[in-house]
Amino acid sequence: MTDEIQVTAPPHDSKLETRALLLGLAGWILPGLGHALQKMWGRAVACFLIVAALVLIGAGLRGNLFTADGGDAFASLGYLADLGAGSFYMVARALETRGPDVSHADGDYGTRFLAVAGVLNLLAALHAYEAARGRKA
Amino acid sequence: MTLQLSHLQAMLLFALAISVAFGFLSRRPAMDRLKYIVWSLFLFLLIGIGIGWAMYPLSR
Repeated sequence: MTDEIQVTAPPHDSKLETRALLLGLAGWILPGLGHALQKMWGRAVACFLIVAALVLIGAGLRGNLFTADGGDAFASLGYLADLGAGSFYMVARALETRGPDVSHADGDYGTRFLAVAGVLNLLAALHAYEAARGRKA
Repeated sequence: MTLQLSHLQAMLLFALAISVAFGFLSRRPAMDRLKYIVWSLFLFLLIGIGIGWAMYPLSR
């Protein structure tokens, strides 16, 4: 005799799903906005300040900000990571008036800071999306 | 705008920023959040400095 466990899937709410997607998108475009629109003020401020700080430090260290025409797979991945910072990608581009300089360790660290700012913002946007769906506190 | 940081300063800033972000995203009560941030920062620094020392013999 086997015990059967019946799992009922939660009803699919397309309105909720659309709202969650929009909040995730908002969080990607402006770090912290996805949380701010859900009144998660602490997380919103933390996401904004941390992504801003990482971008400022990365650009200050003259890290390499990848572009769409990178040429190889690593450059494309770097571009995707950098693009994760949303509007802050343009801020970093505006700040790097003298261009990247990866001939010394500082520039290389800067590249990592910029990439991590993007990946962290993607994580925060995903968190905002999940929170809007009611799956995270 | 140009910054100059030592290796240790860069690592400290990086570890602090990531620890705070992880703490805020993954924990809710303030005390839990603080504990997570401190613990995560400690592990970042311990592992970073540990790997640095582990590579030291290879640098000569």
